[in-house]
Amino acid sequence: MTWPRLVRAELRKLTSTSMPWVFLGVLVVIGALNGVAVVFGTDMDGSKTFISTAADQQSLVAFAANAMMIAGLFGAIAVARDYGHGTVVPMFLTEPRRYRAVLAQYTAVLVGGGVLGFVGAALSVTAVALSLPATEFGFLVPAGGVAQVMAASMFVGAAGALLGSGIGAVVRGTGGAVAGAVLVLVIAPPLVVQLATEAASWIPNTLNTVVSGVTDEVSVLAALAALAAWAIVPAAIGLVAVQRRDVV
Amino acid sequence: MTADRTLDRQSSERGATRPSFRLQIDHVTKRYGAATVVDDLSFTVEPGRVTGFLGPNGAGKSTTMKILLDLASADQGAATIGGSRYRELADPVRTVGVLIEANAFHPGRSGRSHLRILADAAGIPFDRVESLLELVDIADAADRRVGAYSLGMRQRLGLAGALLGDPPVLVLDEPGNGLDPQGMRELREMLRSRTASGDTVFVSSHLLAEVEHLADDLVVINRGKLVASGPLRDLQQAASLVRTGSPDTLRMALESAGGVVEQRDHNVLVVRGLPIDEIGERAHHAGVALHELSPHSGSLEELFLNWTSGEIRHDSSRSEGEVV
Repeated sequence: MTWPRLVRAELRKLTSTSMPWVFLGVLVVIGALNGVAVVFGTDMDGSKTFISTAADQQSLVAFAANAMMIAGLFGAIAVARDYGHGTVVPMFLTEPRRYRAVLAQYTAVLVGGGVLGFVGAALSVTAVALSLPATEFGFLVPAGGVAQVMAASMFVGAAGALLGSGIGAVVRGTGGAVAGAVLVLVIAPPLVVQLATEAASWIPNTLNTVVSGVTDEVSVLAALAALAAWAIVPAAIGLVAVQRRDVV
Repeated sequence: MTADRTLDRQSSERGATRPSFRLQIDHVTKRYGAATVVDDLSFTVEPGRVTGFLGPNGAGKSTTMKILLDLASADQGAATIGGSRYRELADPVRTVGVLIEANAFHPGRSGRSHLRILADAAGIPFDRVESLLELVDIADAADRRVGAYSLGMRQRLGLAGALLGDPPVLVLDEPGNGLDPQGMRELREMLRSRTASGDTVFVSSHLLAEVEHLADDLVVINRGKLVASGPLRDLQQAASLVRTGSPDTLRMALESAGGVVEQRDHNVLVVRGLPIDEIGERAHHAGVALHELSPHSGSLEELFLNWTSGEIRHDSSRSEGEVV
């Protein structure tokens, strides 16, 4: 029964520093910005068509893209700092079969990313719903749409955290891991699309809109599988790297 | 350490049934690129004794300990604990207590949280954490961020982490760093109490005076190679003091036999690397009259500098001194 204990220890690691509060603060700021955008924002022509339909509002509250980026950074920083501070060493001493310790850490960070995604989406939906009465529009997103946005954000947050964890495990330095996450999530996808246009449907931003119910370029199932692959590949590379190299 | 007497009591109570573990480093070699950090290193660390592990900076001490703990892999050879690799131990935390990274703490986490994380991972109840915080005298600071701790407090926290599973083996890398004299004495007493109950204690240090007070056995390495090992007392007496009226003649005779000769006074020589009997015989063959020939106990610092100058290799289990 070592593994559940390791997961509990990793969860305690995540919750015993100020890092989760910093990320929660970022979510609150993003939610507030959404509210401000609803109240004061306009389209190019000065109208508020960007919140005029249920689909427009669902697109506005869809948090998955933010969730992936934020949770990606969360995972990268959490894991890279663990290596940077040497606090990973006691885990490998407790569980010398390193893959088990790494999987426990991935699990804890994945849970953390899912929570961040869920909370981020909830704050975003709440901020928009509370701001709409200041406009001529009501909250038009149906309950099913809200549920899809929340679930998508939670899934994508978990996937983003796993992706970031893999990068953190490979790079091991906080600065490098953050740069790596930005490279993988922000810089590389448009470059890939420029090289191969057909890849546009499979980059995270597109997939995030699909699972949030905003677009339908691929099926939701395919989008979920593709997002999982985006997360699992770097996580697997990190796992192999940790197995093969010296810890310190 | 207010609770060290409690620990002493616990140790003596469990002593009869406590398993003992011998640590074995067997022809271990570790390379980083072209650099050989540990070079065909072999020695044992016996249970019931404190073994000091000495060497200059970069000698390979920490790397050897990491190989023993499966944190680094050896290119050749094997390191075992009671005949098993670390990764094969059934319950590593309750078998080996480790202090290997002096600052392996998240600066934003409290000392209590740090220990609770380790306890969570190992399935150890939190009341053990509280008793260890008392033992190492940081209970009052347990809820402060580790980043605000002094080096000595961090060292105490690290020791608490090593003792968490009450293991019969302790592997400690520079445990005395940053400790005040009282802390050093408490550390010494605590390690002594554990070896009294048959525990194995393996301590690397660059504080030679502390090792001289603490260690029963010594392992000394330089540039990854073993240069001396054995009981500290034997090693300290591994030199001979010779007084003669013909020091130059005797010096040539002894050096030609492989001895390392240091002239202390105009007619006093300190000889290392040759057994005392052989010194007498060499003097006789050279026709040199000896006015005194006696074992010479050097300070650990003096011995350490001799060993790590690369001139002498000494293994007290084989002979009084062996030059390589």
